[in-house]
Amino acid sequence: MNAPNSALVPVLKLERISRSRASRPAVRDLSLSLEAGQILGLLGVNGAGKSTTLSLIAGALTPDSGSIQLQGQDFLEHPELARQAIGWLPEAAPLWPELTIREHLEAHGRLRGLAGARLKDACDSVLERLELRDLSRRLAGVLSQGQRQRLGLACALLHRPALLVLDEPANALDPVQVVALRKLLRELAAAGTAVILSTHQLTEVTAVCDRVAILHEGVLRHDAPLPTDQHSALEKAFFDIAMTKAA
Amino acid sequence: MTLFAVTRLELRRLFVRPLGWTIGALALAELGWRFALLLQLFLLNQVKLAALPDGPGYTDLVAVRLYSSLITGSPLPFGVTELALLVVPLLTMSTLASERSTGTLPLLFSTGLSASRILLGKYLAVLIWLTLWLLLAIALPLSLAHGVTLDWGKLAAATLGTFLTLAVLGAVGVACSAFASHPAVAAVAALMIGIALNCINLGAQLAGVNSGFINWLAMSTHQETLLRGMVSSADIVWFLLAIAVALALGTQRLAADRERG
Repeated sequence: MNAPNSALVPVLKLERISRSRASRPAVRDLSLSLEAGQILGLLGVNGAGKSTTLSLIAGALTPDSGSIQLQGQDFLEHPELARQAIGWLPEAAPLWPELTIREHLEAHGRLRGLAGARLKDACDSVLERLELRDLSRRLAGVLSQGQRQRLGLACALLHRPALLVLDEPANALDPVQVVALRKLLRELAAAGTAVILSTHQLTEVTAVCDRVAILHEGVLRHDAPLPTDQHSALEKAFFDIAMTKAA
Repeated sequence: MTLFAVTRLELRRLFVRPLGWTIGALALAELGWRFALLLQLFLLNQVKLAALPDGPGYTDLVAVRLYSSLITGSPLPFGVTELALLVVPLLTMSTLASERSTGTLPLLFSTGLSASRILLGKYLAVLIWLTLWLLLAIALPLSLAHGVTLDWGKLAAATLGTFLTLAVLGAVGVACSAFASHPAVAAVAALMIGIALNCINLGAQLAGVNSGFINWLAMSTHQETLLRGMVSSADIVWFLLAIAVALALGTQRLAADRERG
């Protein structure tokens, strides 16, 4: 397995992936690629296929057809690539309620191949970055929604992945934390991390993303850089798509 | 290795949950009571037993009988095996069923781990917990080792038999947890399968049939041989086979879960 030159290949490349759930097509013929340092906003109404797409990218689901390339390598043949290359925050940040914040980070770190001093440094770094240091001994089961969300984000960032996959990351965050999250995402992108951000909030997309994709009934209906007049143009594109039936 | 990361995570979850501590401590307290009663019976009969050539000693009447009621004539509190039928389902019920209900199972899948490694990692953690529990149980008869003559070979065979029984029950419990959506369902299923495995030959035994497929199928048949101090590879193969079947079924279910999403 020879890794291609990372400067020449996109971090992520989806080619015509399809996936059915509960006997209904959730994602159909989706093709997409993402370069290092890009922040892609994934928009769509409820049931558009956003979470399924993110689960496919994160490796939690396998597509029925199509191919996924991660840093130039076949992700479906080598699902272990996800261990170090992808950080995933699923919707509602699933946690183990009986473990503390620090124990969560340590468990995630070990699952992602970190150990010893590297693991400790990584935990300290994300605790600091997401302002969780003072809560590090608190059990996940007693955290507020916002704190749970920040812990989920910390787990996704811990191993410094090349691709960050975030499902509604601003959920339950207060306005100050939302601004901090935007700043963090811009910093990560500036450092070369590719980010996919799924959200219902158009303002989230216009605030941080440099590209937007709109899914509707499992089909990619729009994939382009953000319009220059941003919010109103995006709002028009979104509602034009959301109010129509998929082809 | 990420397999051990799963084991470590599961062990941590087992040790921080009050349920594990509570059932472990209560079961040990009950075993302590059984040990005291067995010791009392042994002391009452010591003079008579000393007169018998090749009569049973401390190992047969106290140490081995602590493990199971299979070869105990007297009505006594549960031995390790009977307790394990209750303790193991309670211990294993959350291993995968709670991962499914809290939504953390997809997170484990997203680390690139195969279903078999996730299941094996969880099983190893359960096995470590059960081994520690068994070691604490053995400590009871061993605490008097300096004052009695122990038949170390027989004790080792009986301990091996009990360990393998715990290992089978653990594998069944983890497999049931892989199939169930709720931990309580997993516990009930594991309890019923454990009882069935132990007692499936009861009818045959009552009819005086001590051989045949139904007796081979029962776990008690194979454990009893080991409790009597006889180590046979056929019995060990049965235990290993039972563990492999349970883990294979659990893995298959987990892999199907991943496919279905």
